[in-house]
Amino acid sequence: MAKVSVIIPVYNAERYLAECLDSITGQTLKDIEIICISDGSTDQSYDILQNYQERDSRILLIWRENRGYGYTMNEGIVRSSGEYIGIVEADDYAELNMYEELYQKAKEYDLDFVKADFYRFKRAKSGSMELACNHLSPDPSDYNKVFNPGENPETLRYIMNTWSGIYKRSFLEKYHIQHNETPGASFQDNGFWFQTFIYGKRGMIVDQPYYRNRRDNPDSSVKSKEKVYCINAEYDYIRGILLKDPALWERFRHMYWFKKYHNYMGTLWRIDEKYREEYLMRFSEELKRGIALGDLVREPFSCNAWNNIRSITEDPKKYYLTRVYPAGMNQKVFEQMQALETENRKLKEEIASIRRSKTFRLGKILLFLPGRLKRMLRRRKR
Amino acid sequence: MMDRPKVSVIVPVYNAQSHLRQCLDSIMGQTLREIEILCVDDGSTDGSAQILEEYKGCDPRLHVIMQKNIGAGAARNRGLAEASGEYLSFLDADDFFEPDMLECAYERAVSGNAQIVVFRSDQYHTEEGVLKDMPWTLRSRALAPYRPMDCRTFTDNVFKVFVGWAWDKLFEREFVVKHGLRFQEQRTSNDLLFVFLAIVLAERIETEERVLAHQRRGSSASLSNTREKSWQCFYEALKALKENLIRFGRYQELEQDYINYALHFSLWNLDTLQGEKKKELRRMLKKHWFRELGIAGKREDYFYNKKEYRQYREIVGGRLPRIISKCSRGIVD
Repeated sequence: MAKVSVIIPVYNAERYLAECLDSITGQTLKDIEIICISDGSTDQSYDILQNYQERDSRILLIWRENRGYGYTMNEGIVRSSGEYIGIVEADDYAELNMYEELYQKAKEYDLDFVKADFYRFKRAKSGSMELACNHLSPDPSDYNKVFNPGENPETLRYIMNTWSGIYKRSFLEKYHIQHNETPGASFQDNGFWFQTFIYGKRGMIVDQPYYRNRRDNPDSSVKSKEKVYCINAEYDYIRGILLKDPALWERFRHMYWFKKYHNYMGTLWRIDEKYREEYLMRFSEELKRGIALGDLVREPFSCNAWNNIRSITEDPKKYYLTRVYPAGMNQKVFEQMQALETENRKLKEEIASIRRSKTFRLGKILLFLPGRLKRMLRRRKR
Repeated sequence: MMDRPKVSVIVPVYNAQSHLRQCLDSIMGQTLREIEILCVDDGSTDGSAQILEEYKGCDPRLHVIMQKNIGAGAARNRGLAEASGEYLSFLDADDFFEPDMLECAYERAVSGNAQIVVFRSDQYHTEEGVLKDMPWTLRSRALAPYRPMDCRTFTDNVFKVFVGWAWDKLFEREFVVKHGLRFQEQRTSNDLLFVFLAIVLAERIETEERVLAHQRRGSSASLSNTREKSWQCFYEALKALKENLIRFGRYQELEQDYINYALHFSLWNLDTLQGEKKKELRRMLKKHWFRELGIAGKREDYFYNKKEYRQYREIVGGRLPRIISKCSRGIVD
């Protein structure tokens, strides 16, 4: 049995795939299996994957039509045989010691899962990289100790992600922890992440960043604007799981709403402006219902967030007109300004390149004398 | 022989001779042709049986089932047992429908792979001869603007988003059979249990905003006009609903909705009941039923509708003037 099965769901990732695969095949932990599933890619991903597979027998390659991120991840988990499972997005990559060190921690403390801090990065065309370390918790004392997330709903405050850690396969199987099989990429990692916390008994977070999460990919799902209500459906799925056991729902419902609120807020700003008013109206109705049922309570929220909740439930129209719409306009103006600046830069570059070109310089030389003559003649006339 | 019908239409008939022809014409003329019509004659004593006999001869899709008079609930179950369609429609013999009601609802059902479709309807007032809106039969504001939509996505009391009657809905037969859903065999409120359980258990509900059916009001043959004889039925329906919610493991999460609805429905029954029985119902509610339905002992903030809560306080507290009961509440709080 491999120590870690690394699952890589691939959907049209030809631009970044090599960097990703290099970082996994080169892991210092050698006893791993690498499961690459192409979920209906239509680009050159297959050639790249096959190329790597020919050179590395640890790679299992599955190529099939599109069935969505959740289905793909579930398939990866079913096909894996490792003691632990890791997840790597095809446009991200990992530091070479990631799985060795996480596996060691997991074994040492017999963990259901271990998660690490991570980097978010953007890479400019020039090659320079903007790196930001993300801490799962702002409190250093939360790190490097075994905690019981199932008994401590507060741990749901740790930053949500599924790829910065590894999960014991027998733990996932015992609780049937799966992704929601909705189409495309629809925030299915939220449900998976939630389940690892509500069912987990031995978790750990470590303060060493290994994983590098790309933030400059324009195709990346976080930036897609059309899928307005995907997050709502994902939180319906999570509620369904919690409600299977009334005791679980009772324990987690307040933090469930805390996460839901913040995710909905994020969505409100992410979606296209033309959807925002409608989205806010639904948001308001859901919040009111949560409050009426006692599921949504003041306690987990900051003052600021709670004030928002009160404004949104009391008068969503007003909230939209005073808070969302103007910010949207600012955002729009800002975006237009940026677009104009880019345009301006492009035009300047174009001018510069024209000036540098041989034809331009030749023309300038040829026209030098006639130009002079013309000016002299004009002066003479006056 | 026809393939499996797309919709089985089940119509309990009891002394409905005055409107039966219009109802049957309205069903047989539906643009959706692949249907079966199961008319269950619940021991009518008027000319209904003859009308059914006459219609049977001219449309092979119409089947007539006879039973002795045991009520519409039993009649619907009988039709349900005989039905073979993909979807089920339970209509009443005194209502009438848009010609494309079934086509429209069926298409909605198929496109959303829905287990229930609810469509908009209105009321036809016989005396005035006018159609009146019934916005409360489908509360759009409480519905999710995305799919799949189940009752947990509703942002209002699950039992108040739609009405607990069956005729403005389409039910997937396989879904109904899988959960063993049946109508209560009693004179009135026999559809509440069936409808609300279906709504709670369905994973995919669809709605249609067009008005597709017209409910006739003010006609003496209507089943709901026999309530004086069966004034306890609503309580039996509420009790059965609670038992079944417990059986399906859904009571705990729905308790607050259930209790609020139980109060709402009790008060509605009290308000609309006439004559001697009104006093008796009031007494039963006060003495036993409010407690048994779980309404008694709940704090004011448990109730979504404060007006209904005040009405409840007035009933249990005798007829104290509002100002006194207000003061006493102030002291308790």
